[in-house]
Amino acid sequence: MSNNFKAALQSTLSGIWQADTQQRTFRQIMNAFARPGVIETLEGEFLEGDGMLLTLATLLDGATTLADVDGLLSEHDLARLEVSTLAAEQARFVLTHGKVAPAFMPSLGTLESPDTGATIILKIQEIGSGNRLKLTGPGVDGACEVAVNGLHPAWLAAHQEWNSAFPLGVDMLLVAEHQVMALPRTTRIEEIK
Amino acid sequence: MSAGYNFGFLDEHAKKEVRRAILKAISIPGYQVPYSSREMPMGRGFGTGGLQITLSLIGANDTLKVIDQGSDDSVNAVNLRQFIEMTCPGIDTTTRLSEATLIQSRHRIPETPLKPEQVLVLQVPYPDPLVVVEPSEDKRKIMHGEADYARLLVKLYEDIVKFDEITISHRYPTRINDHYVIDPSPIPRWDVPKLDNSPALILFGAGREKKIYAVPPHTKGEPLAFEDVPFRVEDFRDAQGKRRACARCGATDTFLDEFMNEDGSKRYQCSDSDYCDETLEADMMTEATTHA
Ligand SMILES: [Zn+2]
Repeated sequence: MSNNFKAALQSTLSGIWQADTQQRTFRQIMNAFARPGVIETLEGEFLEGDGMLLTLATLLDGATTLADVDGLLSEHDLARLEVSTLAAEQARFVLTHGKVAPAFMPSLGTLESPDTGATIILKIQEIGSGNRLKLTGPGVDGACEVAVNGLHPAWLAAHQEWNSAFPLGVDMLLVAEHQVMALPRTTRIEEIK
Repeated sequence: MSAGYNFGFLDEHAKKEVRRAILKAISIPGYQVPYSSREMPMGRGFGTGGLQITLSLIGANDTLKVIDQGSDDSVNAVNLRQFIEMTCPGIDTTTRLSEATLIQSRHRIPETPLKPEQVLVLQVPYPDPLVVVEPSEDKRKIMHGEADYARLLVKLYEDIVKFDEITISHRYPTRINDHYVIDPSPIPRWDVPKLDNSPALILFGAGREKKIYAVPPHTKGEPLAFEDVPFRVEDFRDAQGKRRACARCGATDTFLDEFMNEDGSKRYQCSDSDYCDETLEADMMTEATTHA
């Protein structure tokens, strides 16, 4: 059996395309967006890396658009997601590696329709250890601390710059293995040195 | 209901669209995210906006509470609850706030503070507070984006000049996270302070206007007011200045509904029937213990 075929078969069997799995996952992602700094561990038995595919399967379908900037998805998975692909500058969802600095300018939305600002899904190494960040803003009770490993510091600068004129901006979702954590446009991030 | 319906009635694409709108609503607190509302087997105005949010969130592990004007037993609440039970096999329903994971409500936020793991879904008939001063939606969207509420404030001030106080009894315009002003749905002023620094996520669904908006937990929610005329909740004191009590459970810290007795006198009772029941039961427990 080829590795590709094996991965495809196992992802089919793992339940990530099933409605009840996606419902549970959505609730976890929703809680992550409502509470920046809270780390949600996606439930279920998955292959390594399937936390990302489960996240994408939960959020995407043919009615939205994706830019897979770093080619993180196989053609099989991309087809299965049914999502239309667009350039990172136009796509509603942008999938990218967190270890490299951003080399694109995402949609920040418009004053009338700030919801058209992109959702950027960042694949990183680990959440819970690494560089410590202090978060404040809606959804955070006062302030909270969280650590991330494998996120290029340029992403923090980009988060600040792209979100400097609220309500325009982008919302980020960090995904590490089966962990997810959100940094919506309203979150203020300080690096703890 | 035929077995041909999907769990949650809506098809998975409709749910995904609602879910994506919810994430943007949370990320942009108070902003009305447009979505394409689906036809529901009940008239719009029967809470279809809230219902579509609930159906997009709910799963077999959920325990649902449906409230209409504080009561779980009104015709509207019963109809909605039965529809959700029928289309979502395996879920539990409850009238007890403490047992609920998902709460769909019309016109009230429960008296007891919500828990962080709960989600409150409020049904909204009219989502845009700017409609009273600007008929064009395109222009309203720009005003919201710029947080330009000068004309709305003037309108509120006219009320003060005329009546000496802000007379809005329901749908009190409330500014979220220092930017967007929302229509908090027809909750009384009593419930508006619960939007500020809420422990739980609050979602708003307007089916007819096809809008979803949110107040995330621990987010500032500030009723519009003026320095010389502060925001005030309803006053439940009698002519002697004494706080009226619920005629049923005796509570003096709840929003009261007014009823007319046959002799023309007035009777007051908690609007939140679950809170009233629980207070009554707790009192009976205390009494039983005391007399034992
Ligand atoms: Zn009572």
